[in-house]
Parts: sequence; C-alpha cells; structure tokens
Amino acid sequence: MSTNAKTLFVQHFWKDSNRTLDYYLAEMNGYEAARKVLGGMTPDQVVEEVKKANIRGRGGAGFPMGMKWSFIPKNSEKPKYLVCNADESEPGTCKDRQIIRYTPHLLIEGLLIGSYAIGCKHAYVYIRGEYVREALLLEAAIEEARAKGFLGKNIFGSGFELEITVHRGAGAYICGEETGLLNSLEGKRGEPRVKPPFPAVSGAFSCPTAVNNVESIANVPHIIRMGGEAFAQLGKIDKSGGTRLISLSGHVNRPGVYEVPAGSMTLRQIIEELGGGVWKGKKLKAVIPGGSSSPVLTADEIDAVYDVEPLMKIGTMMGSAAIMVVDEDTDLVKLLLRITKFYAHESCGQCTPCREGCHWMESLLHKMVHGEAKSTDVDLLVDVAGNIGGKTLCALGDAAAMPVQSFVKKFRSEFDAYVKGQRSHA
Amino acid sequence: MKEKLLSEKFYQAMKSKEPRYPNRKALILPALHQAQAEYGWLPKEILAEVAEYIGVHEAQIREVASFYTMYNLKPVGKMHLKICTNVACCLRGADELMEYAEKKLGVKCGETTPDGMFTLSEEECLGACTTAPVMMANDDYVENLDIQSLNHFLEKVKHEH
Amino acid sequence: MPKCTIDGKEVDFKAGENLVTVAKRAGIEIPVFCYHPGLSVVAQCRMCYVEVEKMPKLQTACSTQAAEGMVVKTQSEAVKKGRAGTMEFLLLNHPLDCPICDKAGECDLQDNSFGHGSEFMRHSEERRTYVDVDMGPVIQKNMNRCIHCTRCIRFGEEVAGIHEMVAIKRGNNIDITTIDGKQLKTEYAGNYSDICPTGSLTLKDFRFRKRAWMLKKTPTVCEGCSKGCNMEVQHEGNVVYRCVPRENLEINKYWMCDEGRFNYQYAQDPSRIVDPMRKAGESWLVTRWDELLTALRNDSGGEDVLFLVGTDLTLEEMKSVQEAARIWAPRAAIRSFGTPGVESSAQDGPKDGILKMKSKTSNLKGAETLGIPPLLGAAKSTVVVVFRGGRAELPRIEAKKAYGVGVFLEKERNSVHAILPGLSFLEKDGTILNHQGTSQTLKRALLPRGKSKALGEILMLVLNQKSSEVNP
Repeated sequence: MSTNAKTLFVQHFWKDSNRTLDYYLAEMNGYEAARKVLGGMTPDQVVEEVKKANIRGRGGAGFPMGMKWSFIPKNSEKPKYLVCNADESEPGTCKDRQIIRYTPHLLIEGLLIGSYAIGCKHAYVYIRGEYVREALLLEAAIEEARAKGFLGKNIFGSGFELEITVHRGAGAYICGEETGLLNSLEGKRGEPRVKPPFPAVSGAFSCPTAVNNVESIANVPHIIRMGGEAFAQLGKIDKSGGTRLISLSGHVNRPGVYEVPAGSMTLRQIIEELGGGVWKGKKLKAVIPGGSSSPVLTADEIDAVYDVEPLMKIGTMMGSAAIMVVDEDTDLVKLLLRITKFYAHESCGQCTPCREGCHWMESLLHKMVHGEAKSTDVDLLVDVAGNIGGKTLCALGDAAAMPVQSFVKKFRSEFDAYVKGQRSHA
Repeated sequence: MKEKLLSEKFYQAMKSKEPRYPNRKALILPALHQAQAEYGWLPKEILAEVAEYIGVHEAQIREVASFYTMYNLKPVGKMHLKICTNVACCLRGADELMEYAEKKLGVKCGETTPDGMFTLSEEECLGACTTAPVMMANDDYVENLDIQSLNHFLEKVKHEH
Repeated sequence: MPKCTIDGKEVDFKAGENLVTVAKRAGIEIPVFCYHPGLSVVAQCRMCYVEVEKMPKLQTACSTQAAEGMVVKTQSEAVKKGRAGTMEFLLLNHPLDCPICDKAGECDLQDNSFGHGSEFMRHSEERRTYVDVDMGPVIQKNMNRCIHCTRCIRFGEEVAGIHEMVAIKRGNNIDITTIDGKQLKTEYAGNYSDICPTGSLTLKDFRFRKRAWMLKKTPTVCEGCSKGCNMEVQHEGNVVYRCVPRENLEINKYWMCDEGRFNYQYAQDPSRIVDPMRKAGESWLVTRWDELLTALRNDSGGEDVLFLVGTDLTLEEMKSVQEAARIWAPRAAIRSFGTPGVESSAQDGPKDGILKMKSKTSNLKGAETLGIPPLLGAAKSTVVVVFRGGRAELPRIEAKKAYGVGVFLEKERNSVHAILPGLSFLEKDGTILNHQGTSQTLKRALLPRGKSKALGEILMLVLNQKSSEVNP
C-alpha cells in the first residue's frame, strides 16, 4: 500500500490471518526481540536503545519515548505499571485500530519489552469502549502468546513475568489524556488529574507508571530488532526516528492509513501521492493536519514537511498524524461548529474555562450558522477561545481553542459573511 | 437479602477479572460492561447491585456510569445504531445518513422505534475515519456507508428479526 | 528557611506549602473557589492564576508549591485577564439573584466578582437551569447557583467518609447532587454550607432569617461533646441565628458536626425555664428568687444531701459549687453527671472517627481535674441539688426535695421540685477542658434570658441570703 519501501506496519494491514501468532512468528521474526532483551540486555540498555531510536510518542504530544521511560524511578518499592493508551480518540485518527486488528503481537511484544525495561509485572491496555471487536482480538492474541509462554511466569527462562489486561473504556474522549485514562482505569470518572505529580511518579493506582500510545509500543520490537540507530535513521529529519502511520481522511480520493518514514514527505505529497488528490476533481480549501484539535492550514500552506517540528514552525501540529482534507465546497463555519460541538460534548466539566467556554463557543457558532449572531460575535468567539487556551487543567481546552482561533484567523471572511447576513443560513 | 438481578454468569465473569486489578474499585468499568451485556441497559437496580458487588456507595457507581456515553442509563432497542457525525464522517455525508435513517425509521435521533427494534443515536468520532462515514450497530462497525448501503443494512436487520 | 518572591516581597515558606498559603502569609490574597486547605487540591476552578517566572503559561497557585528562588506575580496583566476570564465563565450560568440569596454578603463568588470580574456581560445565551432535589433537613440545594468547585464532593469523600454528593453526567451538564433525591446521611452536613463558595448549598435552619452582614460574631467553643470544636456564634438582637466552625488545626480543623452546630437551639427554646419556679401539686408556679434561695439554703444544710454537678459546667462554675458547698452544705456529697456510660474520661473516646466523642458534655475532664467523682446509678438522697449547664443528661432522682439550678426545659422539670434558672453556654464566660485536657474558653454571646442568673451569683446569694437583698 505504501509508496515507500521502508515500512514496518502497513504491509501486514490487509489480511485477517496476519493477526495470528503463527504469521507473526513465521513472517515477522515474532518475539525474537523480546527473547534477545530478556536473554541478555539490562533494562537500562533497553531504555538506551529506545532513546537512540529517537522515537517520539505517537499519541499526539510527541514526547520522546525513551526519556519517558527513564523517568520511572528504579528504586521504588511500589509496583510499576506500563499502560498502553489505545483510546484513539482524537477525531481523524484510526491507525492504532489497524495495529490491533492486524499486528496485535507487535503490540504485545512491545509491551513485554517495555515492561521489562521499566520493571512492570502487569501491563494494561486501555482500549476505547467502541473498539469491542478489537478488544476481543487483542485478548485472543494475548491468550495465544500466553499459551506459548511469551506471557506469564518465567518468560524465556529469564525469571521475568508479565500479565497483560485489556481494560475497556466506555465512551469518553478525555480518557485519551493520560491522567484521565488512569482515573478511568482505576474505576473513576475519566477526569484528568492535576500535574504534578506526573504518572512516572504517581500514576496508575498511585504507582510509577509509563503511559504510551499503541503505535509507540508496537515500534519497540522494531527498534530492538534493527537497533536504535538504524531505527532513528529511518526518519528523514532530526529528532524524529522511525516511520509514521498517517490516517488520511476527508475529501481525498483514497482515504486510508499510510506509513511513511518520519519527515520524508510534505503534506502536499501525502495528499496528492498517497491520497490521490482532492476528490471529485475539486480544489483544496483547507487541511486539518494532526487531528481535529490541530490548527487548520490553508491550501497554500501544505508544502511543509509532514513532521513534528516543521509543522510547529508554521503554527500547527502533527498531533496523532491524522490528516483531514477539506474541499472548496465545504462551509468552514459549519465545520468549525461540528468540531467545537465535539469538544463541548467531551469536556469532562471539572475545570471552569473548558466546561463553560466550550459550550459558549458552540452556542456562538450555532447562532452564526443560524443567522442569529451579532457582528461583534466573531471577535467575541476568538476572545473566548483565548480565555480557554492555555488556561485549563488538561490539554482539552487547548484542543478546543486552537481550531476556533485558526479557522477565524485564516478564513475570517466566511465568518463575517454569516454575521453580516451575506450568507444563506442553515 | 434482596434477590439478585444479575446472573451467576455475571458473578463468575467478574470473579475471573478480580485478580487482574490491585483494588476492587477498578472493577467498576468492567462490571458495568458485563452487566450491560447481560441486561441490555443499566437500570438503577442493576447499578445498585453493581455497587454492592464492588462495595462502594451507589452514588459512586452512578457518577461513574453517567460520565461515559456507552453506558445506557435508559433502555435501548434491540439494534442500537450509532451514526458518527464527527468531522471525517461529516465531510463524507454523515448528516445526510442521519437524516435518511430518521426518515426511514420514523424516529428522531436519540429515540427508539415503537416496536423496540431500533434506537438511533448520534455518535462522536468512532476512530475509523479513513473508512468514513461509519456507524456502530450494537458491537459492530459498519464502514464506508452511503445511503444505499445504509438502506440495505436496515432492511436486512428488519428482515432477520 | 527557603524563600521565594511574591509581588516583589521576599517570603519564607515551608517545603510543600502552596502559593495560596505562602502569599496569604505575606498579606497577599489570591482568590480561590475550589481550593480549601482542609481538602485535596484539584485546581479546577482556575481562579487562582499567578504568573511564575520561567513558566510560559499561567499557573494555578493552589497546585503550585513554592520553591526556593521562585518569582511569582499575582497582579500582572496576564493574571488579571485570566481571572476575569474565569469570573466571566463562572457567571455565564449563575443567576443574578443575590438580593434573595442567603449567601449574599459572605459569598466568594460575589466577592471575587467584585474584585476580579468585569462590570459588563458579553453573554446573551440562555442560562443552564436545573430541577433540584430535596437533600434532607439540613441543606437546601440550589444547583443553578453551583459553580462546580466540587468542595462538597471532596468533603463528603475525604472528611465525612461518605460518597453521597457526586457529580452526575459530565461537561456542561454536570449536576452536583445526591442520587434519586436521597437525603444526606452524614451527621456533618452543615459543613457543606460552610464550604460552598456560593449560595448553592445553604442551611435550611438559617434560610431567609438574617442577612449575613447583620450578624455579630462571638468566638467560642462548642459544648456538644468532649471534643471542644472551636466555633463562632452568630447572633443579633440577643438571638442566635447560626453557629459555624472556627479553624483549629489541633482540634476540629475546619469542621463541626450537625449536633454541635444546632445545639444552640435548646438555649433559645421557648420552653426553657427562665423564671424561678416551684412545683405545686402537679402544676408549676413562677415564684420569687428569694423564696427558692432560702429554701435551698435551709434544705441543703443538713444530712444526706447530694450535690450533682453537670459535666456541662465550666471549671469556674464547678469550683464555685465546691467552694460554696464547703460553707453552706458541708456534709453534702458532690458527684458529677453527664453521659450515662461515660462516667470517666477513661470511658470516653472517639465515637465516629471524625470529630464526635462519646461524652456528650464538654467538661468531663474538668470535673475529674477538680476531683469530683462521678455519680453511679440513680441519685438517691433526702435532698438533691442539680447544677446543670443544659446538656448533661439528668439521672433518675429519688429525693424528698430536689432542686435544679441551671438550664432546664419544661419537659425536664419534673425531675426536680424547684428550678433556679441559670445560664447556658451562650450566655457565660468560662473555661472547659476537652478530652485531651486542652483548656479552652467559652465566650458570652448573649445577655441572660428572662430572670436567669449566673451560677456564681446564685451561689453568692445563697451564701449571703437575706431575702430583702434579692431581686424578686
């Protein structure tokens, strides 16, 4: 499926039988990396290798993964936990689902290696509640691995033991935020926690915890197999190793999950070469480059290289690598209303700016779309967004504010047309 | 002792999950899923029984259950259709699908058909954006929807029941 | 001691202290809603923003621990804008009903709005409204006024030990409530009203009775048990309207129980006896002080006299009874009474693991210190004189003649034959020793009611009894 030779995942994303342990062992050198790690590497060596791999977290924040693991205290008397974030909730994103459906053993092996690296004996996979089938597939894969002795006690005769539990969410975007996820794992409302303390110090069940995205963990066996440096070199720009799974959706001819070496293509190339261009021969109007919370780009801004730092330079973000393409006929005020409605719906409600502000922004946009807004409401909308962004307890406030600020900044005339009555209303 | 509403199967399933968590409170989400799988939805009596099983105040179960959208605190039809209308699906026609489903089933979003067969809901992003538009039909995803395939699906369900 | 700088002032702090606390010590008030020193820190209300040097975003002072060399600004433009934004958000859905709200005048939302909000309103959408449930006899709920600070939820969970106040649903639709209209079960419900920063949870007992700013405030100690919770009596026109806890980190922290909070009510019960009275056949007659004083003196001078001292009296009162008895009733036995089954401090102890003690009176320890042995069983004697503050539980009295000196309600008067009305804890100064032996001071909040007199005065009058000198 990919146009690039160097892919680690997508070549397996096509056939149901690829998810079996037999396939994994036969075609993907399954569990050899874990055998190597448990057979002779120290936990510190594993963390070092992951650091060398220059892998950034694939969940959205892009935090260097090796560094995250190194924050786990070594001499803690408490149990330590590795928690895999399979909540995949940022709109536009659906890559982790593919990993679980087609290469679940990559994830399990990654969990095994990661658990060894941080000293965890019981790892949890927090999977979004809607992925009912995927949770079952993953549980079946875990059973396969256990039956072969890859999980349980004394794995590969090393004395190391590990259990993995799949924990299902139940419909809450905010549980993709790592501390909201931990509360949800503990049987609470998925409300994000005040940080500090950070999960590395006090996470799941008040114990040191590393929370990593599915794709991040599934890359770990690759890192061990090919070595951290070789993995790092897959990436085409500094500080970003490996490949990236990209969820390409919206108005393209060929939506899909693609894989490219990190930083190897521009947004334009991804949309045109991988996605086959804008559908129905239409023109491009806008691109949401990293999940629905990322600041929107105009059609003129897509020559940036698609990776964390180049996107940051043009004022947006790569997030979870979910690109949504918007064609020329799309009403961006209505689209922004849809995005804002989502964040208002998903606000956990514990902190003031997000609980009150997201709903207010939704109301303002609703009024605009229905021709009830005043001409000053566009500026009011932006000011409200400014009182939310950077002011909330977790990043959901920013996620709600950034689309509003960027849509109005870049497509102001569409908003003005609504409030000045130059546009037919819904 | 009140009579138990949840079956022995529920209690056995939970028993096997107990050793997987360091405390009982962490069993709340699994228990609610298990109870809903068994009962279809979560009436107050069931929530109270889950509270008793976990060993917490009933209010604590209620606050957790009401936080998550997947726990049905009201009865739902045999086939619960949740159409995603978030960005990626919306860009590819989810609103028209919702309109069509409302018309076809004769109910508004959020309602259940009088025969108790279908409940129609709007869903936020389901995480299958590259195969948009998408809906959930009970536990299954139906992807790459259009009016034709939606119509086909609804007819099939009606026919099978 | 480590130091940090707040608004240019150098301030000492102890490790672990947050910026709200440290700033307060320097005389700098940082506005808060969700933060409460007795509850966990959640940083939800986003009111206590401050600017911390080297941190790009505004920080919440409640969740930021002071650090050596930290430079904090609490009055910068960014801080002001942040706080104004939060105030605006909080008021989007808050009704403007301060004129009919009991919290007005002591409302954090009102105060912080005045201090940090804008005078203009930019919001013209419909407000969120709720249908309220009844929460039982103590607390009146008004969810429309709630600002979701969750202090009540945390109080229930962390202090009262009961998870009955919860947040139902999420986001803009959250309802902070008990479920299914269940009444509050905790015996500490009054605290919900104290900690609520708005008029969302108010005391039913106080509702619509007095404006907060009209109340005079007297710091005193609760007499409800041997804990000795510090409290404030709030009164006006010689009437108590409310009692609220006062902070004392060694004893009650910030809290008190409902029994203690509403204990004041008996003292202004219309059936409290505030005239000297004696029993005539089956009925009671108001009489003159001199008549009862003479009778008491004459009756108690002989053999077989028992003086009962309530462990609800102050040390000073107990001591005066001892001293007076030495002169005019030298053969009287003196025994204490208070809580049946808790006759000594060895039998006293925590009742619920929160605040309440088993001894239902405040000064059991005081009686022991003065060497007054407890009464065991019934009070049998030819003459019994009961000295009582108002809470000590009356024992069974078998006597030819029994006098009650102190506070009695009509329903209690038939234990004795005559009553010499005394002062309740609201009307006197004095010292009590709590279960730990900590000495604390009762402060007089009210003037004596009716013709009641201080115990010291009654005893003096008995000693110098000449009927003409006594006011009728």
